[in-house]
Amino acid sequence: MRTAKKIMAASAAVASMFAFTACGESNTNATPGAQPTDTNTAEAKGEITFWGWDSGNAMGDIIAAFEKANPGITVNFNNTGTAEKTSTALTNAISAGKGAPDVVMLEDPTVTQFAVTGDLLDLTAFGADKLADDYAAGPWNKLQYNNAPYALPIDSGPEMFFYNKAVFDKAGVDGESIKTWDDYYEAAKKIRATGAYITNMAGTSNDYQPFTAQAWQAGAQPWKVDGTKITINMSSDAGLKKYTDFVQKLIDEDLVDTKTSNWSDAWNRGLNDGSIASLTIGAWMPTNLISGAPDQAGNWRVAQLPQWESGKEVSAEDGGSALAVVKSSASQAAAYKFIEYLTHGDGAQLMADTGTFPSLKKILSSSAFTDPNNEANKKTNDYFGGQNVNQVLAEAAQRPTEKFQYLPYNPFAQTAYGDEVSKAYTKEITLAEAMKNYANKLAEQGKSQGYDVTVE
Amino acid sequence: MSQQTSVARDRGADAIPVNKHRRDWRGWKFMWPFAVIFVLVFIIPIVYAVYISFFKRKLALGNRTVFVGFDNYIRLFQDQQFWQGVGRVAAFTVIQVPVMLVLAALMALALDSMKLHGTKFFRISTFLPYAVPAVVSTMIWGFVYGAKYGLVGSLNDLLGTHFDVLDPSVLLVAIGNINTWEFTGYNMLIFYSALSTIPHSLYEAAAIDGATEWQIVRRIKMPELRGSLAITVIFSIVGSFQLFNEPQILKTMVPGNAINTSYTPNIYAYNLSFTANDSNYAAALAIVMAVITMIIAYAVQLKSMKEQMK
Repeated sequence: MRTAKKIMAASAAVASMFAFTACGESNTNATPGAQPTDTNTAEAKGEITFWGWDSGNAMGDIIAAFEKANPGITVNFNNTGTAEKTSTALTNAISAGKGAPDVVMLEDPTVTQFAVTGDLLDLTAFGADKLADDYAAGPWNKLQYNNAPYALPIDSGPEMFFYNKAVFDKAGVDGESIKTWDDYYEAAKKIRATGAYITNMAGTSNDYQPFTAQAWQAGAQPWKVDGTKITINMSSDAGLKKYTDFVQKLIDEDLVDTKTSNWSDAWNRGLNDGSIASLTIGAWMPTNLISGAPDQAGNWRVAQLPQWESGKEVSAEDGGSALAVVKSSASQAAAYKFIEYLTHGDGAQLMADTGTFPSLKKILSSSAFTDPNNEANKKTNDYFGGQNVNQVLAEAAQRPTEKFQYLPYNPFAQTAYGDEVSKAYTKEITLAEAMKNYANKLAEQGKSQGYDVTVE
Repeated sequence: MSQQTSVARDRGADAIPVNKHRRDWRGWKFMWPFAVIFVLVFIIPIVYAVYISFFKRKLALGNRTVFVGFDNYIRLFQDQQFWQGVGRVAAFTVIQVPVMLVLAALMALALDSMKLHGTKFFRISTFLPYAVPAVVSTMIWGFVYGAKYGLVGSLNDLLGTHFDVLDPSVLLVAIGNINTWEFTGYNMLIFYSALSTIPHSLYEAAAIDGATEWQIVRRIKMPELRGSLAITVIFSIVGSFQLFNEPQILKTMVPGNAINTSYTPNIYAYNLSFTANDSNYAAALAIVMAVITMIIAYAVQLKSMKEQMK
């Protein structure tokens, strides 16, 4: 018995030693502003692992084209499904200390988070900073941390107004004439009278992106981040108040479907049967509509986002994704070469051809991009009843955007949004109260992560 | 020759008390393959979880971990979200487990009564849900439950009613129904196997004594079930305290945000680790939950052992 106890004690001691070393390793990994160790892209060779999702269903072909153009580099694509799953898997691999990919696809707001922790490479040494003017300003600005690029934008996502013309016609609303949010409100009432809803808003974590985009468009600056100092202002910020007052009106008058959250099964069905008549969402939506709402082919249209002040042309970004090189990569130069190819080189055109909404100005302003006879455009335009979709989207991408900052703990901000803000959509509390609770929750998390947080 | 053996015997007799004090490692030679694996997969993870629960990773410090002592535990005991989740699974356990076990016992008794036709089919079909992965069965039920596009929705259209079984007020019952569907067959099988160990002679004796069917159930079958009841109760309590799959899958199928990030303690731990960058706090939560579950399981076992002594 005594021996058994001694062995237990010894194994516990050994176990804690393992734990100590593991901890020591993760400490040294966490130096912010990770610099690459190999920038020789000209002679880059090797095997790289790439984690990402494949919304255009074309990654295999694009990788094959890259490998053909760059003999000696092989890319192993691992389809990680969704943005959330990818960043979760990356967090896990980083804390495990191994198994992380060389190249990772991330949603724009999460890039800063991984840059802060020193897990992504600063791409300046590869010359990425010189590419700044080649990309649309909206997506590019979101990928900077300490004035250095940490990822290259794959796509951009200017917020657009998609509507189902058949449902709008039935309600006697002309979608083209909706220029301001006041017009939108009047249209919402008419559409509700037909039994449908103008849109869905449930305040879940999946509605977080459209929330940030529309608050951003209203000029909201709820979060200010300066190094380790964070200022959260969600109760007196004028832009945010404009947004909350407007949405509160929609909830109170039962003008939005508050039960259906974005990306749920019921959402796709609602879009497909016309009970959800419009969406304000990123410009990357057409491919999702084509696959998610096939019964409404020919009925959907796209227009510019309604404005808070008539005559203005303010845009905002919803989503967008980017490619980054993970610091632990053993083939950093090859990895950079791959992300450059996909976002800036020949691969960018291939991505655009398969439905990705480009962030590269060259493609946005090319005549091929808006050419209605282009094979890829034809399919989309047919679904949109012959409208030249890319022309409308490209116009939005060139519109000015205000600056907007996400919190460095964006994944938490997204899930906490669902927990706190959804209560306003079930009418337990008002949206203003929900925003206040949300601000406190965000402040609490920031403090527990070691930030100096002020709530205004 | 005989002298030698007697010497040897004497030595042997002397050697016995000496051997008592000397370490005998022969047992450990047989034990070590198990011991190594046991330490690797059992002891080390637990010790490691306890260890990391005394630290905290801080994003603002470049994701460095710092020692915080009992801070995570103090925060946990004041964390309303956590205790709401614990309350929810406790309420779930108190209602769902008895319902499921009574159903399972009734099914086992029915099967064992030998008065039914098609018992083999019945036995397999009630056990089958247990073989379906929880993810799949939850999705099936999710589609059934949908008030807008599911079976419930179709019934509502047909009957002109407005039932919504995924409404936050009854959602836990809906989840309980899924769990009952999944695990009743499994518990039924445990009960049934206990019943089938009863020797036939007991029934013959009862028949000779002129016992009624009800008396046989009460005096012979029920006492036999009691032994396996302790096992099934403990399994079920542990299972429902770890409720995760069903609410996690249903999350995107229920209207709005009825299942939040701290709906059950396990879901809370998952979200703390993967979205709140707080695996240390999640480790503290896991340990507290393990202790709570152990205490309850131990209390149940103690009680059932006492009853069996009677």
